[in-house]
Amino acid sequence: MLNQRSKYLQIAFNRSLDEVRNMIALLPASEKIIIEAGTPLIKKYGKTGIIALKNWWSGKIQKQGYIVADLKCMDRGSREVEAVAEAGASAATCLGLAPTETINEFIRECEKAGIDSMIDMMNVEFPFEILQKLKKLPTVVVLHRGVDEKEKNREKKIPHDQIHKIKGTYGNVLISVAGGETPRDVVRTFFNDSNIAVIWQSFYETPGNTANLAQEFLKTIKK
Amino acid sequence: MPTKNIKNKFNPIILAIIIAMIINPSLSIILMIILIIYIKKNPKSSFFDLIKKNIGNNTDSQTMEETEQSIVEKITSIKPFITQSFFNQTRLVKNKKYLQIALNSTLEEAREIISQIPVSDRILIEAGTPLIKIYGAGAISQIRNMAPAGTYIVADNKCADLAAREVEMMANAGANASTCLGIAPIETIDSFIEECGKFNIDSMIDMMNVENALSVLKKLKKLPNAVILHRGVDESEFSKEKQIPYYQIKQIKGNYNILVAVAGGDTIREVQRAIFNDADIVVVWKNFYQSNAETAKLAESFLGEIR
Repeated sequence: MLNQRSKYLQIAFNRSLDEVRNMIALLPASEKIIIEAGTPLIKKYGKTGIIALKNWWSGKIQKQGYIVADLKCMDRGSREVEAVAEAGASAATCLGLAPTETINEFIRECEKAGIDSMIDMMNVEFPFEILQKLKKLPTVVVLHRGVDEKEKNREKKIPHDQIHKIKGTYGNVLISVAGGETPRDVVRTFFNDSNIAVIWQSFYETPGNTANLAQEFLKTIKK
Repeated sequence: MPTKNIKNKFNPIILAIIIAMIINPSLSIILMIILIIYIKKNPKSSFFDLIKKNIGNNTDSQTMEETEQSIVEKITSIKPFITQSFFNQTRLVKNKKYLQIALNSTLEEAREIISQIPVSDRILIEAGTPLIKIYGAGAISQIRNMAPAGTYIVADNKCADLAAREVEMMANAGANASTCLGIAPIETIDSFIEECGKFNIDSMIDMMNVENALSVLKKLKKLPNAVILHRGVDESEFSKEKQIPYYQIKQIKGNYNILVAVAGGDTIREVQRAIFNDADIVVVWKNFYQSNAETAKLAESFLGEIR
């Protein structure tokens, strides 16, 4: 389970399993690092991918590693959550734009399975509107700018101003920010009081450089 | 494509030789000699290149020259071609009614259902989202192996971001169509439709939780092949009053020349209703309390219905 006070660096992995294995071996064994099984990785390898990531990371840090399954659930919440929890995931994601019934069901099922629920607010203009409709709050709210959006439309920015608003209204919810890729972005994310910063691109592009990149990003937490 | 140009350039010469042969055989021999002299004098002429390209590719001297990188480039450029020609030939046809059977549970159950449903080009098999997320893209190739040859397979990957990678993955696994969420960023949907075109598979936009499908379609650069009007399973289970927006079928078809799919449900009555409302594709699935045979029976009554 995540600590409210701590800052975490969530690294999403989307390469082939062989490459991911090597990359995880290169990572520093830090509890501040969260390993994410990216959506393409899940759609390519299914449960097997999550099981592999869980084993490699747990072996590396010598205790139960924290794995996020980026399911981006849209329907049939319970079935997908059950499957990834069984595979060893510690958290799963659901789209904020999914029907409210699906999000409610997703959060309930995550609780039942004993894993953290994350709601991905990609393409959501006002995350508040969605949180208000829910029966129960998720563990984490992910503020997200999609990769395709970012590449084709540079004006769209991560809504950092939302972090304080959400935290002010819903005290216990953790905030994760996805879509900033440089150490500078990550510094800004933590400065704006986010709990988790999600990165992937630099790792995806230069898998050999994983160790250095991770060290560089971890430095931003210590400040 | 250089080959095409060369063909165009040399066809008239060959034609001229043939005509000359008819008029006077000796004239054609003279022409042929001139052609041979021309080629010998210009070994770098395009005609020579053509021969070299056709035969020379396999000679050792040429492969020796090729660097590793160019081989890799070649393989990657060939890959989509192979998948296109072997798996993805079947595309959906307009003015034809289809029944799409969604497989969401396990691969064992998928096998059983597939073995029981009648063989028809009007029946599409869908690898459901849970199946893809649990078994990975391998689920699609496995379903392709279970199903009769030439079966149309829909990968319900419900793409929300990184469209290019997902489409490539689904197409290479042997899908004939892939789905993208209507609530995804417009940039993602645009890139999804473009990629589907590249891989020669049908693009389907799932309008689940989208209030007005037309407003999404209006924003797109290019139209998808199909739009899916969808009421989620969780939605329909927990709030019964939410209805499939049947009126939107006519609205969409009136404005755009695309196929409309309706996620129908699990009974023949719902299927009839969707067909009556002019849907092109009706998506059905098996409920956990139903037997596999019931799903097969549903397919049979559908085929009887549309005849």
